[in-house]
Amino acid sequence: MSRLAPEGAVASVAESEFTLASRRRRRFTRHRLGHIAAPYALLAPAAAVIGVILAYPMYQLVRMSFQKYGLFELIRHKGRWIGTANYASIFNDAEFWRVVLRTVAFTAVCVSLTMVAGTAIALLLLQVSRVVRIALTTGLVLVWSMPVIVAVDIWRWMVDYEFGVANWTLTKLHVGNFVRHDWFANPWTGFGVFTLLIVWGAIPFVAITVYAGLAQVPQELLEAAEIDGARPWAVFREVTLPLLKPIFVILTSLSIIWDFQVFQQIWVMLDARPTSDYYTMAIYAFHQSFQISEYGLGAAIAVVMVLFMFAATLVYLRQMLKAGEVH
Amino acid sequence: MAEIQFIHVSKVYGGDTPAVRDLNLEVNEGEFVVLVGPSGCGKTTALRMVAGLEEITEGEIRIGDRVVNDLPPRERDIAMVFQNYALYPHKSVYENLAFGLRMRKVPKAEQKRRVEEIARVLGLGEMLNRRPAQLSGGQRQRVAMGRAIVREPKAFLMDEPLSNLDAKLRVQMRAEIARIQQALKVTTVYVTHDQVEAMTMGDRVAVMRDGKLQQVDTPQRLYDAPANLFVASFVGSPPMNLFEAGVRRDNGRLLCRVGDSQFELPADLAAARPALGEYAGRRIAVGIRPEDVREASGWDGARLRGRILLVESLGSEQLVHIEIAAAPLERSDLVDIAAQPPGSSLGVGELEQAVTLLGRFDRHLLLSPGEAVEVAIDPRLLHFFDLETGVAVPSAVDAPVAAGVAG
Amino acid sequence: MSSVTQIAPTPVAPVVTRPTRRRRVRKAAWNLLGVIVFLVMVFPVYWMIATAFKPGHDILSYTPQWIPTHPTLSNFHDATHMPFFWDAAKNSLIVVSIVVALSLVLAFLAALALAKFRFYGRRPFIVLILGVQMVPLAALIIPLYIMMSRLNDVKGVNHVLGVDKLGGVIAMYLTFVLPFAVWTLRGFLLGVPKELEESAMVDGTTRFGAFVRILLPLVGPGLVATSIFAFIQAWNEFIIAYVFLHTPQKQTLMVWLASFTTLRGTDWGPLMAGATLCSLPVIVFFLLVQRRIAFGLTAGAVKG
Repeated sequence: MSRLAPEGAVASVAESEFTLASRRRRRFTRHRLGHIAAPYALLAPAAAVIGVILAYPMYQLVRMSFQKYGLFELIRHKGRWIGTANYASIFNDAEFWRVVLRTVAFTAVCVSLTMVAGTAIALLLLQVSRVVRIALTTGLVLVWSMPVIVAVDIWRWMVDYEFGVANWTLTKLHVGNFVRHDWFANPWTGFGVFTLLIVWGAIPFVAITVYAGLAQVPQELLEAAEIDGARPWAVFREVTLPLLKPIFVILTSLSIIWDFQVFQQIWVMLDARPTSDYYTMAIYAFHQSFQISEYGLGAAIAVVMVLFMFAATLVYLRQMLKAGEVH
Repeated sequence: MAEIQFIHVSKVYGGDTPAVRDLNLEVNEGEFVVLVGPSGCGKTTALRMVAGLEEITEGEIRIGDRVVNDLPPRERDIAMVFQNYALYPHKSVYENLAFGLRMRKVPKAEQKRRVEEIARVLGLGEMLNRRPAQLSGGQRQRVAMGRAIVREPKAFLMDEPLSNLDAKLRVQMRAEIARIQQALKVTTVYVTHDQVEAMTMGDRVAVMRDGKLQQVDTPQRLYDAPANLFVASFVGSPPMNLFEAGVRRDNGRLLCRVGDSQFELPADLAAARPALGEYAGRRIAVGIRPEDVREASGWDGARLRGRILLVESLGSEQLVHIEIAAAPLERSDLVDIAAQPPGSSLGVGELEQAVTLLGRFDRHLLLSPGEAVEVAIDPRLLHFFDLETGVAVPSAVDAPVAAGVAG
Repeated sequence: MSSVTQIAPTPVAPVVTRPTRRRRVRKAAWNLLGVIVFLVMVFPVYWMIATAFKPGHDILSYTPQWIPTHPTLSNFHDATHMPFFWDAAKNSLIVVSIVVALSLVLAFLAALALAKFRFYGRRPFIVLILGVQMVPLAALIIPLYIMMSRLNDVKGVNHVLGVDKLGGVIAMYLTFVLPFAVWTLRGFLLGVPKELEESAMVDGTTRFGAFVRILLPLVGPGLVATSIFAFIQAWNEFIIAYVFLHTPQKQTLMVWLASFTTLRGTDWGPLMAGATLCSLPVIVFFLLVQRRIAFGLTAGAVKG
């Protein structure tokens, strides 16, 4: 019998009444000890991996942001302490503030578009007939499953300046002359494409999650509101929306966190050579570290980025813990 | 306040068997009508059609003098109490009560006055700022009632409002709802699967089964003159004893044979139920309420011999299970199966055809299982039903027009 | 009147109410909108697949060919014969399978601790698990790179971990997959009613026996969902593989796909064929678990 099992201990105690008292005490303490240690033993491997590959680098990141860490230091494996000089340099850099502003604005646009469109599609799913609903959900899942790099390649192909389907369609629709139009020549239209790409990719997750949430709203509550005299919009505003608030909070904070660190879409779309007009905080940090080899500066930018995202993270954490406790 | 009429109302879901078939029912102004029946009998569907939560496939429903078939729920001016209360979890008790008024653009001050008055009447005054999650089951039930009352609607619709409460609270709330309804005199349709609830609360009770209305009547009449085998077996707790018997005419007298015993059906009974004579030479379903089954000593009437299987003491009386020689009903589809006692299926019977007869006996009688016993039955208290259709043999005095159970 | 019971069906012409015309028109409008949204959302994916099957002259046409009228497999042939495609496919498979296996074991153990034990430090660990999901990968790349490049000089470790080593990438993927995996499995474990285990124990099994016979089969779906999630994450990841794997023979499929253009200009047909191939496994797995992932997030969220 397993040593861990309490029955095992009790049974063997009963067998020999002779030393009952003393053995029970010993067995119980050993068993107790095992019980206390068990959860820690179970957690240890996962905690170790997370500690080594997340916590330690996190600490390193903060440390490096206070160090001069260039190519020379990289080879020596040792940074030089320079206090807050890295921060002073980025805060005094107009380019940095432009990047921050650009990232914040881009995140705001992407997140709001994603949330509104995703929720709208979720509500649409409730209205359509079964066949359309199944088709639409399957389509959403299909889009959801596109790896980011694949999505980038598809969109790059669609907005190709010569044979892209976008230019042809827009020209045909008389929106303007888009023959051989280069979308990335102007950062505004370029970011327009990135916004579409990101929102397109993020809608399925939001739509399907909100739809799942809508399905969990007790039907009687909606019926009760209807009988109480609420019109459809009032039912949505007064009952559905407040009940789904936790889901919206989680989705919004997740979207903020994902969109704020946008990197690969821009990086791959622009062939790893984005002009400074296309820098977001993640790209800027990457550029400073891996292209200019100013790892200390890059770390400082990354730390600022983490701080920016901290608020969203806190909101997310609070909501997740609340939801988790319902169990 | 208004009357509610179902006129040839049917409901079919997705082309399959109908949930409600050709329902005709009139709920008078200020009346409390209970729809009762086993689960799946269509009672809730009927209620939801009145509320406007379910489309009406055929027929029409009127509230007052308006046909409401195409009106959305908010324009029907009815209030509904849901099985699990459907209180808005994110709103306080006050907001829950005021919601309907707010949606109907009642002025703020008026809202406050009415909500506070209702809260006072229902004893919710202290709880106006709480959320539903912070209330007990009984308090939630009161808020749900309050939300319905505060709107002063034309009618209350209640869908098993007590089924989530524990037994004691249910009895208490049952009386409370009945009291409120009597005080307000609001037309009420109340749905339940619990026949005790139906009998105690309703001015009239409508028994439904498989989407069809079986009988609508006052609780007492429903109990005394069930229209068919289903109603007979569904209403009453413990349920009516039902078994088969033979009817025979001998020298102008009607004789009834149960197992190996035989007794005469008195002339006045035969006169009151002339149709009984038509069953001479045929089998018939016979029913008797447990309280009409008596221990033989000191009573007149037909005698049946049996053996005691089980004695259940109820304190004020005892419920005795007696095995007698009689043929059980073959058509189990005509009765409410859930209400039938286990009978000889327990495997203790030695008789080839045995029926368990439930009797409510005086608590002072000393009875023990295994004992032989003789019971007395007054033939005038027997109920007679057709074996094939389940319809009660009509009485000449007040012939209830009965619906067949099958179909 | 009150005692009258209705007699069986009276054949009176019933009033038949069909859904009103307005309601039908509205439903049709919603359906139309649904179809339009479907087409808009799915078009890019369709365009990828359509292009992958088109011959070159149909792709490079100024008027788009909406339907591949001359379907061909030559793009797929070209894509799979590109340099390093099979290396990349092999690497992706290795990385993904190891990440899935390890994350499943580690996450299950941790989830077990979080769901079935009360212990000091439980809540901080849950906060940690949720918090690290939020740590931006782009920010951690820098110190991770420094750390891995240091490992390259450590004898005994350096043929597994370090820059340009699959082992390093695997370790990092594992870390980023673990938090979500632990959280999901914890949810599944909490969903198993305690009474089931207790009744098994009352029936005479040991705690371990109850675990094997009751818990494991019941969280089976959770394990499947989690492993598919880990699969998708590891398969799709780009940044880490891009930064840490330099040698073309060691890159994963996503890096291979991203470097497609630079290898040969832009050859859209083979590129789309390659993209189709790279997304195929993910599509299959996504369709398998989509419900679970969405419902996992919302479970318990909608309540008063």
